[in-house]
Amino acid sequence: MSTYEEEHNTSSNSNPRRDLRAQIRDLYQENGSSAALLQLLAQLIPESMQEELLNEKEGCPETFIDSLPRVNKRAMKRTDACSICCCSYLDDTHPLVVELPHCNHRFDLECVAVWLSKSRTCPLCRDDVLSHKPNVDVSNVELEEDWGMYG
Amino acid sequence: MASLPKRIIKETERLVSDPVPGITAQPHEDNLRYFQVTIEGPQQSPYENGVFELELFLPDDYPMEAPKVRFLTKIYHPNIDRLGRICLDVLKTNWSPALQIRTVLLSVQALLASPNPNDPLANDVAEDWIRNEDEAIAKAREWTKLYAK
Repeated sequence: MSTYEEEHNTSSNSNPRRDLRAQIRDLYQENGSSAALLQLLAQLIPESMQEELLNEKEGCPETFIDSLPRVNKRAMKRTDACSICCCSYLDDTHPLVVELPHCNHRFDLECVAVWLSKSRTCPLCRDDVLSHKPNVDVSNVELEEDWGMYG
Repeated sequence: MASLPKRIIKETERLVSDPVPGITAQPHEDNLRYFQVTIEGPQQSPYENGVFELELFLPDDYPMEAPKVRFLTKIYHPNIDRLGRICLDVLKTNWSPALQIRTVLLSVQALLASPNPNDPLANDVAEDWIRNEDEAIAKAREWTKLYAK
């Protein structure tokens, strides 16, 4: 396939940036998948940073974080504190504390939301919080007439 | 300068009031996120009787991001390189915001007690360690005597 420039014979003053872009496009198409391309690009950066780039863990979806069950204030003791900010829940008159599924570890929503936006693990026990999602969903489903219907 | 999060203030206070045995950590006067750290070499390790200086920095995203820790004292260890950088899972992929300065420093101290040449950062040291462990341990002792006073 020829470009406009080739057809009109104007390629003598070709744009280096356009050439580079074309090269990258070819590279991308040859590799097919973005994972392969990522691998290739990763080789160009220092080893210490490669690991970070390739192992970058995906966080939890916002809907998951929003659906975490809130802990009732009456279920909190004076000494209970969030292990992320190290502050007692009851220092706040309206503490917004949530519980993770399965491991039941508690945190301030504000604190754990930031962490879960980039990780899937419980800060305290490293449990993969998303792995239990189906079970939790089933237990929380309210029996309604439009059961199982969404949207 | 942005105000220091309450957590950092609490951690700093506790490091002073309830210090970890064999470990000291003091914030710098001008920058309360920068700590001067010393770790005593664990007993029955090649680093025994040595006192190692380290620097610890809490990045802006701490505790969502791990502290940056580096040895300032020269040390012969397969998981610590020439620049003092440390190969330790909790400082990288296994960081959790429930960990603290004290737990991180305890992990570093534990790393001194059990070097792991199969996951090396200093490749030449790790090779020595695997090839002739007794010799490597002797060298680690020697460096401890020379540099970790």
